[in-house]
Amino acid sequence: MDEWTLIEQLKKGDEAAFRTIVDTWQDMVYNAALGIVQNAEDAEDIAQEVFVQVYHSVGSFKGDSKFSTWLYRIAVTKSLDHVRRKRRKKRFGFVRSLFGEDSEMTIDAPDFHHPGVSMEQKENAARLFNAINLLPENQRVAFTLHKLEGLSYQEVSDIMKTTVSSVESLMHRAKSNLQKKLEDYYKDKT
Amino acid sequence: MKHNDEIEKKVEEVLSSLDGIKRAQPQPWLFSRIKARLGREQAEEQTVWGALGSFLSKPAVAIASLCVILLFNGILLFNQPAETPATIIAAQSEQSGSDSESYIASSSSFDFENLVQP
Repeated sequence: MDEWTLIEQLKKGDEAAFRTIVDTWQDMVYNAALGIVQNAEDAEDIAQEVFVQVYHSVGSFKGDSKFSTWLYRIAVTKSLDHVRRKRRKKRFGFVRSLFGEDSEMTIDAPDFHHPGVSMEQKENAARLFNAINLLPENQRVAFTLHKLEGLSYQEVSDIMKTTVSSVESLMHRAKSNLQKKLEDYYKDKT
Repeated sequence: MKHNDEIEKKVEEVLSSLDGIKRAQPQPWLFSRIKARLGREQAEEQTVWGALGSFLSKPAVAIASLCVILLFNGILLFNQPAETPATIIAAQSEQSGSDSESYIASSSSFDFENLVQP
């Protein structure tokens, strides 16, 4: 069954079509969310939210872009919202701790280990994910989609609703920022 | 110099550590959990307060309500200063006038003729 038929059937409320859509795109949505939020439980929660939104708002999908592009957009938006919320909570926890109240939010998150990374690259990848966490949002999204999802600059630009040259620029800045952060880390370490 | 080269090499290794990464997969039965979530949402919407909450939390409804409140506030704010002093003075003079009238009325209705003299 092709993509468009599935979407048309989901618009009519067909549960089998919804199941096929979830089964087909769940890994893509989960992996994209995981790359941004860097936490398996949160990524799972976001993946659920994405498909719930797809179920409710599939009527507004007109087919101007690819269905996967639309899904990526929802996943990226929800993941960034989640990261912002978490950071706000962390800041609030820090402020509370200044006033002597107990707060669990001041504890730094442990290193993130992506399950798709090979054993020998585990430590290096965890270091890289830590550095990615410090990038500005746009650079982080472009880098994650390109490196983790293996998307082309054209596909990333479609998802981010920008031009290919903007994505090239974002990727260039992301790489040089990561390089600088990692250099600083290893200089401090030695 | 050698030290910098080592750092540079290490950084390059880290930057290329995601090459050939495999896609992560969610826990099994994601669809069942999504269905359960949809079911919970629908159950919440079926209660009166849940339905009211979800209706008011719709961005269009929330923005429209806010606009109406701001509009009423604006109308009240722009109309009040022009009317208030005159209204208060008029109301006060009317009030004092009616007070004295009622006083006069009450004193004039007193029955002087049938007043029993000691």
